Amino acid sequence: MGQVLVLGLVYGVIYSLFAVGIVLVYRGSGTINFAQGEIGTFGLFVAWWFTTAHHLPWIIGAVAALVMAAALGAGFEWAIVSHMVEANRVSVAVATIGLLAFLVAFEVRFFEGGNIRKMVAPIRGTGWSVFGVVVSPTQILSLLAAGALAAGLALLLKKTDFGLGVLAAAQDPVAVRLVGIPLARVSAFVWGLGAAVSVLGALFIEPTIGVFTPGFASEMFIKGLAAAVVGGLTSLEGAFVGGLLIGFVEVGANRVFDFPGVKMFSILFVMLLVLLVKPDGLMEGFKFRRRALA
Amino acid sequence: MTWLRRIRFPLLLMAGATLAPLLGRAGFLSESKWLYLGVAVTYAAAALSLNLLMGYAGQISLGHFALLGTGALVSGVVTSADRGGLPFMVALPVCAIVGGVVAFVLGLPALRLRGLYLAVITIGFAYVADQTIFKLNYLSHGSAGIHLPRPLVNTFSFSRTSDFMGILCVLLVVIWQVDRNVTRTKLGRAFHGIRIDESVAASFGVDPRRYKLLAFVISGAMAGVAGSMYGHVYMFVNNESFGFEKSLLLVIIVVVGGLGSRAGVIVSAFFYALFGVVLTHISWLHIFRGFDILIGAALLMYTVSRHPGGLAQAFQESRDRERRGTPDEEAEEPALPKLPEMPRPSGLPERPTVEGLSGSVPVLAAHEISVRFGGLQAVNAASLAVPRNKIVGLIGPNGAGKTTMFNAMSGLLKPNAGKVELLGQDVSEMPAHARARLGMGRTFQLIGLAGDLSVTENLLLAQHVVASYGVLSALTQIGPSRSVERELRDRAAEAISALGFERFANTPVKRLSHGQQRIVELGCVLVTAPEVVMLDEPSAGMSPGAAENLAVRLRDMRDDLGRTILLIEHNIPLVLDVCDELYVLSGGEILAHGLPDEVVQRPDVIAAYLGEPAAAAIVEAEAEAEATPVKAKPAPRKRTRAGAAK
Amino acid sequence: MTEPLLAVEGLRAGFGATTVLHGVEFSVNEGEIAGIFGLNGAGKSVTMKVLAGVVPSRGGRITFAGQDITRLSAEKRVAAGMGHVPQGRQVFPDLTVAENLRLGAYLLRRKDKARAASLLDGVFDRFPVLAERRDQLAGTLSGGQQASLAVGRALVNEPRMIFVDEPSAGLAPLVVQELFATLKQVATSGVTMVLVEQNVSFGLQLADKAHILQMGRIVYSGEVGALDQQALAGYLGIGRMLGGVTSSALAGRRAPSPSPAINGSAAATSAEGEDRVPRSQRRRQARATSGS
Repeated sequence: MGQVLVLGLVYGVIYSLFAVGIVLVYRGSGTINFAQGEIGTFGLFVAWWFTTAHHLPWIIGAVAALVMAAALGAGFEWAIVSHMVEANRVSVAVATIGLLAFLVAFEVRFFEGGNIRKMVAPIRGTGWSVFGVVVSPTQILSLLAAGALAAGLALLLKKTDFGLGVLAAAQDPVAVRLVGIPLARVSAFVWGLGAAVSVLGALFIEPTIGVFTPGFASEMFIKGLAAAVVGGLTSLEGAFVGGLLIGFVEVGANRVFDFPGVKMFSILFVMLLVLLVKPDGLMEGFKFRRRALA
Repeated sequence: MTWLRRIRFPLLLMAGATLAPLLGRAGFLSESKWLYLGVAVTYAAAALSLNLLMGYAGQISLGHFALLGTGALVSGVVTSADRGGLPFMVALPVCAIVGGVVAFVLGLPALRLRGLYLAVITIGFAYVADQTIFKLNYLSHGSAGIHLPRPLVNTFSFSRTSDFMGILCVLLVVIWQVDRNVTRTKLGRAFHGIRIDESVAASFGVDPRRYKLLAFVISGAMAGVAGSMYGHVYMFVNNESFGFEKSLLLVIIVVVGGLGSRAGVIVSAFFYALFGVVLTHISWLHIFRGFDILIGAALLMYTVSRHPGGLAQAFQESRDRERRGTPDEEAEEPALPKLPEMPRPSGLPERPTVEGLSGSVPVLAAHEISVRFGGLQAVNAASLAVPRNKIVGLIGPNGAGKTTMFNAMSGLLKPNAGKVELLGQDVSEMPAHARARLGMGRTFQLIGLAGDLSVTENLLLAQHVVASYGVLSALTQIGPSRSVERELRDRAAEAISALGFERFANTPVKRLSHGQQRIVELGCVLVTAPEVVMLDEPSAGMSPGAAENLAVRLRDMRDDLGRTILLIEHNIPLVLDVCDELYVLSGGEILAHGLPDEVVQRPDVIAAYLGEPAAAAIVEAEAEAEATPVKAKPAPRKRTRAGAAK
Repeated sequence: MTEPLLAVEGLRAGFGATTVLHGVEFSVNEGEIAGIFGLNGAGKSVTMKVLAGVVPSRGGRITFAGQDITRLSAEKRVAAGMGHVPQGRQVFPDLTVAENLRLGAYLLRRKDKARAASLLDGVFDRFPVLAERRDQLAGTLSGGQQASLAVGRALVNEPRMIFVDEPSAGLAPLVVQELFATLKQVATSGVTMVLVEQNVSFGLQLADKAHILQMGRIVYSGEVGALDQQALAGYLGIGRMLGGVTSSALAGRRAPSPSPAINGSAAATSAEGEDRVPRSQRRRQARATSGS
């Protein structure tokens, strides 16, 4: 039981990072960014190029990856999404599929992505044993980073005018322009932030998995998506709660059942159940009573 | 020569089917290049399958390649030497059936979820198929994979891919033909209807749930066959042959080709399947190696954001522009032409008619209908009755609940309490499409037509209840479907000439003016000769002249065509002009009922309209107020005015 | 005569293949309250949206404070001094009252925080109910309170001109009276106003100038005082009054007695007589006016 909790927490927190990116974009543009995971992988390639290929410190590679990803997200919004204000939201989602395919092809073509690569961990060391599970320093760091991210987002969204504008834009994009807030900038910011968050997730999960190739984060994306859906797709708290829940479900089901693909099966089963029974997510109804983040 | 144009694609493929073996034997192209071509043909088949689901029926599937995988693995189990060992020709129908069944299950969530949520579910299916189902030992020897032999006829083996191309091309023609049969029968129109607006489709008698599932089943059967083709081209598949990225590629193919465009998606499938090969194998393009997906993906992003109709539509539009120039925006609204006088069509399902109704029973009656939305009581124990061959008006201020009442009566929403009777029969438990079959016709405030279908096609969709042939007959064009379709077309043509719309017969409805669309909508409702016609603000958006003409037409409908009409209208003069009886709804309750002229003079009715403090607060924020007191200059003095609003 | 604050010339706009505005022309002077009236579908709301910059124009020119703003984005127009009370209020439902007002002052707060704070106090003085409920979610306010919030949100940015679209929709008459009194005060304090109102009686109480829109064209522009009911009825395409029935088609067939609500009004009776002018003729008059 203790092991399930520890492992579920360690994995779940990564899923919630991906879920946060998905929720941000969903709130900003009402669509799902299917390239969310691949942007994380793209960030890994950028970070790898700096750290492994050019022997610079981890932090430089990480910052470069975050910046590149943010620019990519914002640029995609500017070049594609902003032209689709009137379009069906499913069409926008299809455009993100184009971005996904583009990034995979880009990585293959320019990073010779067919080769298997390893990214260094931010901190070296053996880690500690908790309930018989070895928790690496990177995993501890990812917990801290997720906590910091949650706090940072809360501060940004509730305490700054621009952050309030982000929240408002999700509620009424037209009214936002009518009070003079540059919607284009808000929207590009949201896509950029969502992209950066997913790089954060990819940087922290990679050392646990070991190697990466193009498409590396697509499973993370599906799990993050499940977490976001379970949390209601619009709620940032829901994304964190959903991520942890998905983490526990995955680790727990893996203990109890034994068949191929048991993790994905259990996660998608939970997601389907939530969608059919409570399509607005488990956090619905919670939103109006407590709105610390969202 | 139009028939030649119409079948040129199948002709091309049939030519390919004959030529490929000959060319192959003559040594044209290497075996590996024939393999690419064979894969391209299977992609085309898969694209048609996804196009049917996404393009026609509007149901999204992001895991469609998993359906192909199902087909391939089933085909493997049926044909491989160590399993079934049966011929390829036996495997095909099995794959079609299994594909259809799996797609049916996949379609069940679509009855509750739509749009992005449905997309998420289909991704889930792709992953579960990939990681769990396709790893089942029985299907793929775990992950070791399964060998699919090429077909063997007597002693002739299709082991050369160029020979097998012949079979593949024939199969693609078959799928093409099935797809074409879908689009030219009620199936395609019903799919289109539910994609545009399920309520509108239901008002024409289409059962949205049934047709959604049908779209999944037909698409799944096609995908099953395409999967079998795919497997036998490669001759080996395992659980990794059907990854999520292939599903995404399929989506890219269909969207770039143009959702709903048969030729467009096939061209796009060939492009995506062969582009990379071309880049790799033509020496001077060598520097572009690896750019194929990059360019393809960029093309997708560009297409969806700038040409949402896909390349097919972009092409079509530029051709249209050359031919027509820009449409004449300033054209004067034509007067409302005469409405078609349509006898009851022969193919109608058995149902009681007004003629069989005993004298005092109303054609349509609502008893104590109550509808609550959350805390808001939208309609409260409202009753009304529409006697035979009368025009009954339903008026009321904004937010009074008129349209809600209409929706409850036509079955689009289920009231919390109350009963609806049509021709004396209790229809309270029936969904909207079933009520439509019993002779309830209705129009919508925002026009209830399929905008990108032509006037003729809309009139055909409107006759859905009369199209009494089965799905199999539609798909194969064997049996009654041909003759029934011919009758429907004759009726549509008749209606169009009665409306005087011959020159618009093949014009997409969305290109017509608002007033013209209204007329087409009325024509669509009347074409099946419903027992009662419910009109939701027919004069909305009409110029005053056209509205006056509408009054004449409504009277014609009653006096000459013998129709019974329930009318929601904001245009009070029109209501006073045509109605035999009037109900006033206010705050969800029937405030008054009686002769129109008497009702509109009742102080409480005027108060309801003028929003005296006593009157209920108006709820509908965006709707516009219809009646206003005007304070004139010197002293404020109440004057009442019927708004011709809306 | 000084330059008008807002001048609209030949404005055309539409959606897809349909054109809604066919060359709208009018101007608004500083300090004026201009009312735009018309039937549903006449293009009032589209006009407002084009003026705000959220629907693109397809031709024509909009000049605001001497500056051609036809091509400016919505946010730049707000920065130039336009404020909006949009149709349906459009407050941010999941933000509190205070947060809504903070966003209203988004541009001013970047330039002059102190000025923004004093304007905010002004709004709280004008709408004490907003001060009381400053920490309540805007989505939970009543319709009237939301309307106050929407007006307040427009005012905290210190606009020169505010565009008020259908403020009375969905509100009880008493609440409307209160809201209009406030709008009147706002106008008196020097803010120019463009008002779209379907409820003509409410609108005429407030407006100085009336512009009547019919099928995408302004068919009448003038002082409110110069409009009588018959002209108005004609312009709005209203053939008859509720209760007082006249129409070329029906004249003589029905002879109803005036309803109690209008009984005893001599003007009303005479109005009915004049209302018998055939509708087509009135339309022609209307067209003629628009041509001038």
